[in-house]
Amino acid sequence: MKRAPSRISQLLFLLLFLALFVTTDYRGSDELPAAVNSFFRADPLLLAACLLAAKSFTLLLLPALLVLILTMILGRVFCGWLCPLGTILDLITPRIAKRKAPSWLAGNLKYGVLFSLLGAAAAGLNLAGLFDPMALLLRAMTFFVHPIIGDAARSGWVGLYRVMGDSRDHLAPGYSLLRDYLLPFRESSYPLAVSSLLILAGIILLERYGSRSWCRHLCPLGTLLGLTSRLSPIVRSPDRVCNDCGLCGKVCPTVDDRKMPDGEECLRCFACDRVCGSGRVRFRFINPLRLRKRPYLPARRVILGGIAGGLLFARGLRWKSAEARERLLRPPGVRDEAEFLAKCVRCGECMKVCLRSALYPATFQAGIEGLYTPLLLPRLGYCEYHCTLCGQVCPTGAIPNLPKGEKEREVMGKAVFDRNHCLPYAKKSNCIVCEEHCPIPRKAIRSRLVESLDFSGRRVSLMEPYVVEELCNGCGICENVCPLEGKSGIEVYAVKDKTPIAVAISEKPAAKGKEDDDPYK
Amino acid sequence: MERRSFIRLMAIAAFFSPRMVSKLGAKELPVVGVATGVDHSKITRDAIAAVGGMKRFVKPGDVVVVKPNMGWDRTPEQGANTNPLVVKTVVEEALKAGARKVKVFDRSCNDPRRCYVNSGIQAALKGLNNVEVHFIENERFKKVTLNGEALKEWELYGEALSANVFINVPVAKHHRLTGLTLGLKNIMGVMGGDRGKLHKQIEPALADVNAVLRSHLTVIDATRILTDHGPQGGDPADVKIMNTVIASADIVAADAYATTLFGMKPTDIGVTVAAAKRGLGEIDLKKVRIMKV
Repeated sequence: MKRAPSRISQLLFLLLFLALFVTTDYRGSDELPAAVNSFFRADPLLLAACLLAAKSFTLLLLPALLVLILTMILGRVFCGWLCPLGTILDLITPRIAKRKAPSWLAGNLKYGVLFSLLGAAAAGLNLAGLFDPMALLLRAMTFFVHPIIGDAARSGWVGLYRVMGDSRDHLAPGYSLLRDYLLPFRESSYPLAVSSLLILAGIILLERYGSRSWCRHLCPLGTLLGLTSRLSPIVRSPDRVCNDCGLCGKVCPTVDDRKMPDGEECLRCFACDRVCGSGRVRFRFINPLRLRKRPYLPARRVILGGIAGGLLFARGLRWKSAEARERLLRPPGVRDEAEFLAKCVRCGECMKVCLRSALYPATFQAGIEGLYTPLLLPRLGYCEYHCTLCGQVCPTGAIPNLPKGEKEREVMGKAVFDRNHCLPYAKKSNCIVCEEHCPIPRKAIRSRLVESLDFSGRRVSLMEPYVVEELCNGCGICENVCPLEGKSGIEVYAVKDKTPIAVAISEKPAAKGKEDDDPYK
Repeated sequence: MERRSFIRLMAIAAFFSPRMVSKLGAKELPVVGVATGVDHSKITRDAIAAVGGMKRFVKPGDVVVVKPNMGWDRTPEQGANTNPLVVKTVVEEALKAGARKVKVFDRSCNDPRRCYVNSGIQAALKGLNNVEVHFIENERFKKVTLNGEALKEWELYGEALSANVFINVPVAKHHRLTGLTLGLKNIMGVMGGDRGKLHKQIEPALADVNAVLRSHLTVIDATRILTDHGPQGGDPADVKIMNTVIASADIVAADAYATTLFGMKPTDIGVTVAAAKRGLGEIDLKKVRIMKV
């Protein structure tokens, strides 16, 4: 059988999704070569949730508006021709034995899911991304699949060195190619990695209840597109599987027993049209004004209940522990936590792209409402001073896309010394690794030379470091490189006032202080 | 000359010559070549020529490691990394002298990809045959017994240990802890492990490492020197243009001379003092022959 056009399109978009995924990394240029976040920017669910939660529109999400308009005209083509998760399900489903779907799944659950998400969004809690099909897929890949592949390749490469020694160099060009274009550059592991994978596995397992079970019964994006497609003027006939051959019912991914899908469930793959031998299947444009009245939405009660539930739920998820709040460090450029939570769709792009593996998905540090939102964990990785990648990949502008000069001045937190741990104070020995690494040209960490007595009474000259708070942007490199084992001698804490570092202070010479004993001053 | 007497003569010469060379060496002062000018390639070549030319150090077929400082995500103008033109010229000279392969690497402090790119060094060496610019791979570090004053053993980079010739190409710049960072401190870029721990006793530790991993040739880039907020800098106001390149087979002498460019005395820098005490070279510039070009 000839490949269906929809299948070819699906495969091409899946390939594109994977290509954009591996391109979401530093490749030798400050600017990413492509709009790697395209799939998310074309996602109407994220658009709806962001509009409701943040009460503002960003041009970044304009493609999503176009997809919505396209769906209004053609129906759920996004699900049948584009969605990478849908494609994966279509590819796997022939291998999974089917059984009857349980009633809870086949019922109105999906409307409940969609509308409670939108209700919560209206109350300022944007959880849509947690259930968005592409975000689910990307998170499983970013947090689990890609790191695992990277680890396997890297340990294979290291193993070769143990066996071959320096003669491994002959193979180096091949490995460099892999490392530079396909593998993650750094070794990293993520919290929630396994749960991200399990959720994806669960979605695949749902296929046992019929093909595209997730898409038909749960996916909030699919449900939203389905509702939109009720406006589509394209009507398929006949509306039931014919009694004689019944081929259409066998190829249709969303057939419900013998009822062919109506506008809302039809994925517009046109498989039925291609297999029908007698030319009975027809897709007709009809005058939208004369669109026959479709039945009521499955249950208004579910919709209203969902919205109300979402609104209530949103209030209940606010709690976060005090300790977590202190260390709630957000990516550069994020100034307001509430606004960030409203806009962040937890797609995982920023964590995928982060150069130094500094961003990790929050488990409960940001409260349940902050699940999977990016957090800077300086002890594990720091924010590279000149890097602007996370802002470039954020599909909703939750992390603003700032030029280098501005991003460098954005404040994520402020560093604080712990004199009970820091070597010059606690052990009377010199160190200043933090000052050395501080990327601020005028240095947010400085030190002063003091004469002191060590604990055995000997005179020692010590460089005692201190933080110049007005200059610190909280990038966390100091905490990251602190050579102490265990607790760092300097730590970055969250601050409410995230006014960017003033240009004047960071670029003009500071007033000459006692600590400056440079001959050129 | 008869064959037999010729062989006898050769045998005698072979017996005496190493001793004679070392005796000559004892009398000869270490040489530091100093070249000044705006053509950074030319002054690099001149400085190397002043200490005997690259052929003195690199023999045909040698594997050569050129170790620049490219530890920071900074541009060449900011003076935190070695000038890419200086690095390129050193590499080219080594190739011209017959090097089979030249390897260039540094264990960077910032993201290695950004450092290799923004230092300009990766781009400068692109397209040169038999030149490898690779990232550090942890499996190549080998535990080396140093039996030093501060360090008993440390992990050093295998490719630096196995090379026939090790050429140290630092940039001259300010360093908050050690005063300045020059050739002796640049060796940290081939050290594995947690280098931050060294800072407690950095002066003897660096002498320990330099005593084992000797730099056959040190070429100090002082085309732009960073006078403050080192080792990373970032503010153009801290960069002073000196248009100078210093070369020497004696790393201590090279460092000692470079110190004077900052208006300091060689003995102001504890790292240099510790290395001189260890017998790694001459710190007293009166006992050094300075060849200005």
